[in-house]
Amino acid sequence: MRFADRAAPTLLITLTLFVFVLLYGPLMVPIVSSFFTVSHGTVDWSQPTTSAYVALTQNDSVLSALWTTLIVGAGAVVLSVALGTGLALYYASPNAKGRNFLQFIIFLPFLMPPIITGLALLIFFRQVEFERSLLTIIIGHTVFVLALVYRTILTRLQSLSGSLVEASYDLGASSWQTFRLVLLPNLSSAMAGAAILAFALSFDETMITLLVTGTQSTLPVRLWAMMRLGFTPDINALVALVLLFTTALCLIAVRYLMPASAVAGSDDN
Amino acid sequence: MSDSAAHAGPHRLTPWLATLAAYIVPLGFVLAPMALFLVYSFFSVDHGSIVFSPTISNYVRFFTDPVFLPIFWRTCLLCLAVALLCVLFAFPVAYFLTTLRGRSRYMLLVLLLVPLLMSYVIKIYAVRSILGGNGMLNRALLATGLIDKPSMLFVFNLNAVLLTLTVLLIPFAVLPIFLSLERIPKALRHASADLGATNAQTFWRVTVPLSLPGTLSAMSFVFVLAIGDFLTPQMVGGQSGFTFGRIIYSQFGTAFNWPFGAALSVILAAVVILAIRLGGRLESKHGGAK
Amino acid sequence: MAEAGILLKLRSVSKSYGATAILHSIDLDVRDGEFITILGPSGSGKTTILRLIGGFTQPSGGQILLDGSDIAAMPINRRPFNTVFQDYALFPHLTVEANVGYGLAVRGTPRAEITKRVADALELVQLGPLGKRFPAQLSGGQRQRVALARAIICRPRLILLDEPLAALDVELRRHMQTFLKSIQTEIRTTFLFVTHDQEEAIAMADRICVMSAGRIEQIGSPHEVYYRPGTEFVAKFFGENNLVPGTLGPVEGTTRAIDTAVGRLVCSIDGQPKIAALPAGSPALAVFRPEAVGIGDAAEGENRIAARIDQVAFGGASTMVNTAAVYEPQQILKARLQSRPDGTSLSQGETIPLVVPASACRLVAA
Repeated sequence: MRFADRAAPTLLITLTLFVFVLLYGPLMVPIVSSFFTVSHGTVDWSQPTTSAYVALTQNDSVLSALWTTLIVGAGAVVLSVALGTGLALYYASPNAKGRNFLQFIIFLPFLMPPIITGLALLIFFRQVEFERSLLTIIIGHTVFVLALVYRTILTRLQSLSGSLVEASYDLGASSWQTFRLVLLPNLSSAMAGAAILAFALSFDETMITLLVTGTQSTLPVRLWAMMRLGFTPDINALVALVLLFTTALCLIAVRYLMPASAVAGSDDN
Repeated sequence: MSDSAAHAGPHRLTPWLATLAAYIVPLGFVLAPMALFLVYSFFSVDHGSIVFSPTISNYVRFFTDPVFLPIFWRTCLLCLAVALLCVLFAFPVAYFLTTLRGRSRYMLLVLLLVPLLMSYVIKIYAVRSILGGNGMLNRALLATGLIDKPSMLFVFNLNAVLLTLTVLLIPFAVLPIFLSLERIPKALRHASADLGATNAQTFWRVTVPLSLPGTLSAMSFVFVLAIGDFLTPQMVGGQSGFTFGRIIYSQFGTAFNWPFGAALSVILAAVVILAIRLGGRLESKHGGAK
Repeated sequence: MAEAGILLKLRSVSKSYGATAILHSIDLDVRDGEFITILGPSGSGKTTILRLIGGFTQPSGGQILLDGSDIAAMPINRRPFNTVFQDYALFPHLTVEANVGYGLAVRGTPRAEITKRVADALELVQLGPLGKRFPAQLSGGQRQRVALARAIICRPRLILLDEPLAALDVELRRHMQTFLKSIQTEIRTTFLFVTHDQEEAIAMADRICVMSAGRIEQIGSPHEVYYRPGTEFVAKFFGENNLVPGTLGPVEGTTRAIDTAVGRLVCSIDGQPKIAALPAGSPALAVFRPEAVGIGDAAEGENRIAARIDQVAFGGASTMVNTAAVYEPQQILKARLQSRPDGTSLSQGETIPLVVPASACRLVAA
């Protein structure tokens, strides 16, 4: 028994390290390979070069895909934050009808596999003869991230003391003034965190996009097409850049939504 | 919360307007498409154009045609295996996380969360790049002497799908398990020690049973994520790695049978809902608080 | 407050949530310039009255009349009242100055005027130098004063205070009670103060409205509710009291007799015509304060009760003697005597004559 007690921490650390190798190891391969050329499917380790990165800057289809991704991301963020805030306020208001039902509908696209959400929207757009375009992609992304944005803002809203709104009215403010002067300042950091998270999710979203896109490609869709063809330096370079970007986004979002104090855990172990 | 908000506004019209505004997007862009989707599954296709009269032929075809049901079961089993594997790997990591404090805990948690936000296709691509006859995995196995020639066991088939999905989904399992471990009151572990149990006994008799709800919930979560994925099988499954998701996708691509695809998706949705409910039921039955 | 006008009238106001009735037909007048305290245990409906007046909830029935017209439908932000909330409800993202000036800012008051009036208000509550701080940086007592300043500055016709001192510790609470009272006297705004603490009510109020289970038990000055309780509930609510049940005897001028198990007691009914009107034989309670009880020979106009001492409890300035009546051992009687430095000569088991003057003895319908 004593041996088990002493072996346990080492075992845990080993297993954890192993899992980390599983998670991050494969990612290293494209990143490192991006600095080398590839011929006949094998990496040529003799000459490091940044030529792949340079080639990217001239790759029109990649650049336009990036641009599309940014527009879609911005659109989805603006829509989902505005909608999410409105829905959270509605949910928290005393006369809201059918709260559970409403929340269920909001969560549905996030809980269901993206393939179902994407297909449902595809059929819907077809039926109402809404042509697939940038707008349909934005709608698809908004519907997908709405649940997360809504939940984040609602949680913050509910943590605010109910008497703050009452106090504002009591002092003579109108509903709009109360929203602008009291609620918004206290919700702003939650909205910012949710926005960043939403942007990150939209940036990576592939499955729904594949289904509801017309002729436009977002970056993930472009990557997907490129990846069908094999393992090449320009894919690797793009992959490395995207990973860098999403990691940075994640770290920023974490700062907004998860202060270190909330995670620290107590000391009486 | 009080009914203050409703009475501060000068008009009584506002509540109805607010309700309308609130429901418009969820009903219009979520419920309507989903309902339409369900309705579509009862239509059929005739020479490339959709016949809008209700029929259950799609569902009949699913159950009777020798191709679809076996693939469906295979996919379910595959995803179950993925869920099990993920939880097996995720549990020690989550447990380790609970033993840390302060900065190291925060950093480890962040390191575990970052892969969650990384692009899905990139992750698949990365894993695929180490599979393959000449890939890193084979080379590592050769180097450690576990095999003496490159193995085709996991190259472009269902095993590859299994492996890839597992690696992709482990981070998704860590968080629920971690949270459920955290919710176990420390007092219980102290009580166990106080009654004479060793650390190992406390672990097996107290910690594991109490964290079971969270673990089961993590399993159902991973299952749902795995079963809906059609990108992974497409990229690493090759010709033999056909999953249910891939079949659905093809109905909307080359096979061009939207109603049938919708029917298959409805079946998929049913399985997903079942998995979610089962996970939730098991969690609350074993005392997992929400 | 003799010729003060009536600011607010509640007429037959009731409130129910579904099948549960919180308030039953309340009639209340709030006088201009007074400090009125709504007092009662939790669940008595006292907070509901405050919220109805403030507009945070609507009455199920009855009227709330301001200047003769019913304001029940008036939204919160139109009512000329301001509230000091139990948790202070200070805006965490605004400085003390911005908090205090909020009511003026939303009304579009010019910046210069806001600055001046905020400075004055902070001066009044003695928080002058703390204007630039945020609520999180203040102590409980300081936050309380900011909430008060924020309510006062708008010059409302009525300030509602919802158990504002409940979160403070005893020392601070005593100090704040004096402080609040002095502010009210100075600015002469009507204060409606809700509390469950009867000592607090007696210390601060011009009038106390005692509530129980959604009904008003009695409204009167602290003196009145203490010495002339109108109901059994009020008699038991304040401090310690002696209650002796019996049946009413004949009226004799300003006194009335009551026949009890410990003998016939003569009680004053001065200023209580309702008690005088009750028929003889009605059940009633004789009520008298322990501090009005003496030990010794009864003089003319004094009641005498034989009692056996159960316990002598030294309580600092006063000593409480707990006794049981000799002719009715179930009847507990308490006498509060001034403590003597060299101790008391009374001992447990001793039989003593208790003396209560008729003027200190009151009647309450049972």
